[in-house]
Amino acid sequence: MDVMEKALTGKPCLERDYDIKIFSTKLREVVKEYDIKCDPGTPVPSDDSLADDVFKAALDFYSAVGTYCTDTERIIKFDENEIKERLKTAPTKISFGEGVDAGTMVPRRPEDKTPPWRFVGAGGLPVSSEEIFLKLVESYASIPIANSITTPTLTKVNGMRIRPNSPLEMLGAIRTVALGREAIRRVGRAGLPILNGIATAQSAIALIAGLHPNYGLRKTDGYMISSLAELKTNFDFLNRACGLLSLGLPVASIFGPIFGGYCGGPEGTAVVTVAYHLMGALVYQAGWHLAFPIHIRHIASSIPELLWVASVYAQAISRNTNLLSLYYNYTAAGPGTEMCLHEFAAEFITAVTSGVSIETGGVGKARHEDYLTPIEPRFAAEVAYASAGLKRENANEMVKQLLSKYMDKFTNPPLGVKYTECCDINTGKTSSKYLAIYDKVKKELTDLGLIFKY
Amino acid sequence: MLITLEEKEGIIKRLYEAVIACDKDAAIKTAQEVIEKGLNPVEAIEEGLSKGAATVGEKFDKLEIFLTELMMAADAMKAALDVLLPTVPKEKTMKKGTVVIGTVKGDIHDIGKNILAALLIANGFEVHDLGTDVPTSKFIEEAERVGANIIALSALMSSTIGGQKDVIDYLDAMGKRKKFIVMVGGGPTTQEWANEIGADGYAETATEAIKVALELT
Repeated sequence: MDVMEKALTGKPCLERDYDIKIFSTKLREVVKEYDIKCDPGTPVPSDDSLADDVFKAALDFYSAVGTYCTDTERIIKFDENEIKERLKTAPTKISFGEGVDAGTMVPRRPEDKTPPWRFVGAGGLPVSSEEIFLKLVESYASIPIANSITTPTLTKVNGMRIRPNSPLEMLGAIRTVALGREAIRRVGRAGLPILNGIATAQSAIALIAGLHPNYGLRKTDGYMISSLAELKTNFDFLNRACGLLSLGLPVASIFGPIFGGYCGGPEGTAVVTVAYHLMGALVYQAGWHLAFPIHIRHIASSIPELLWVASVYAQAISRNTNLLSLYYNYTAAGPGTEMCLHEFAAEFITAVTSGVSIETGGVGKARHEDYLTPIEPRFAAEVAYASAGLKRENANEMVKQLLSKYMDKFTNPPLGVKYTECCDINTGKTSSKYLAIYDKVKKELTDLGLIFKY
Repeated sequence: MLITLEEKEGIIKRLYEAVIACDKDAAIKTAQEVIEKGLNPVEAIEEGLSKGAATVGEKFDKLEIFLTELMMAADAMKAALDVLLPTVPKEKTMKKGTVVIGTVKGDIHDIGKNILAALLIANGFEVHDLGTDVPTSKFIEEAERVGANIIALSALMSSTIGGQKDVIDYLDAMGKRKKFIVMVGGGPTTQEWANEIGADGYAETATEAIKVALELT
């Protein structure tokens, strides 16, 4: 109610003025005032004061600019005290899943030995058939250290391409839920939680349709609400928050601040990534947060500047709050390639060492339908698990080594392979050719000093 | 009014600088000066505004400037063009083409579309931006109303790219497909998708989309 009141009575403002005159102007101001500077040569900085300055800048920034509601064309604003109060009362742990597959997501700190939460799977990437969907989710649930699942998104229902806000989307949303649960059950991990709720639901109506208990989602699964770039919301997103919170479901705020967009450079992107956590906690009353800062042109997050953003935002949040934060990445290279695994390793060593958990992200810029394999999520989860307890200084050196393996290919990355090129659609088994790539890159990481526990 | 070559070059340089500095007021003021002092508006546009826009485009491509500056530079350019274009003789048309652009129905994301719109303006296209969540028929209605030669369709989600196909199918069904060049882009779109739905042009980035638009017009 408080959010709606603010949305209806906040300062009126044209969207364009919010973007240019309010958001961009204040962002430049705080970056300058707090003297935040990116050093791409140090993707994982060990400077605590830098992280704390980014947090203070974000607090200052968000209390000044708030969240823009595109439906009311007003600014939903919170003062610093309101923000600090919410940070004190936000959940410090959430339990997901059931029975032997249940687990608890907890906050982490930089260099923390606490294992990160491993949210493993397709990251909502598109697949064209239910058969591939099922096989992929079975393979994700078979990863022993996966403690939650992120399913793909169906793009077609009975061969028909889904249209938003249509019955096709509603059917797609329902099938995503039912198939996801069935796939997990098939491999004997029926209690494993699905945390991207209803990946195929683009609209609130499809989300609500998929929520019916008949289709299999549970209160111990996770549910996501996104926002519009940058720091904007609308009634559709607020409707989701209202519906999900009314049912007592664990809501996540998910956001992808754009490096090169209104955020400007890496410094602004780091500040905005932290500000999005505040927005999620306040506007959506989110209990957990998923960040995916991304490059405006390359639609990937593995360049040094964005690794720096990932590290600095993660340190800022984990040093200054108890918010539950996960990092999601976008690789430039497609699945089934060494480069894709190198990118995953660089990203998750960075994020986990800097104090957050992970969701295995969008391979090959999340662009190509059916370009998903079980190898990347498994590898990424293992790297994340092994990274707990690393010193930032050591992580920084490892990440620099990894960057040297792929940056020359970054602007022209390999496309990778489709699921059916990597795996047998009948048995679900991965071809030895691609397992050899996985083994090779794991060996490289071991040589760099990463100690795999799995 | 007679002015020296030095004065003329100074005015054109200020137009160029106004675009680079994203200074809309300076761009308008200098454009008015072009008219008051009797300078050739075509020369002012080509040597001042267009070169400024090209520099801005290059800087954005290298991320030496960011989206905010790009949008503001496009605003400055458009404001100056609004002053200068009415004085350009009709036979000396300055436009590279007219584009109707928008994000397809069901999709409310606009960053990619905004970047392309700004770069199109900066590259001399007349742009009619319909915003986001645009009904299929609206693209066609607007393209016909403004005499566009390009319809540019943006979509960010794998669940919304079907809207791009809908516009092309609608054009086909109305027997109007050949009247317009249709370009598609956005996160989940690919060249294969563009081929599948019969689009004329596709680009992964806004900068590449400008090249495609220039090639197709």
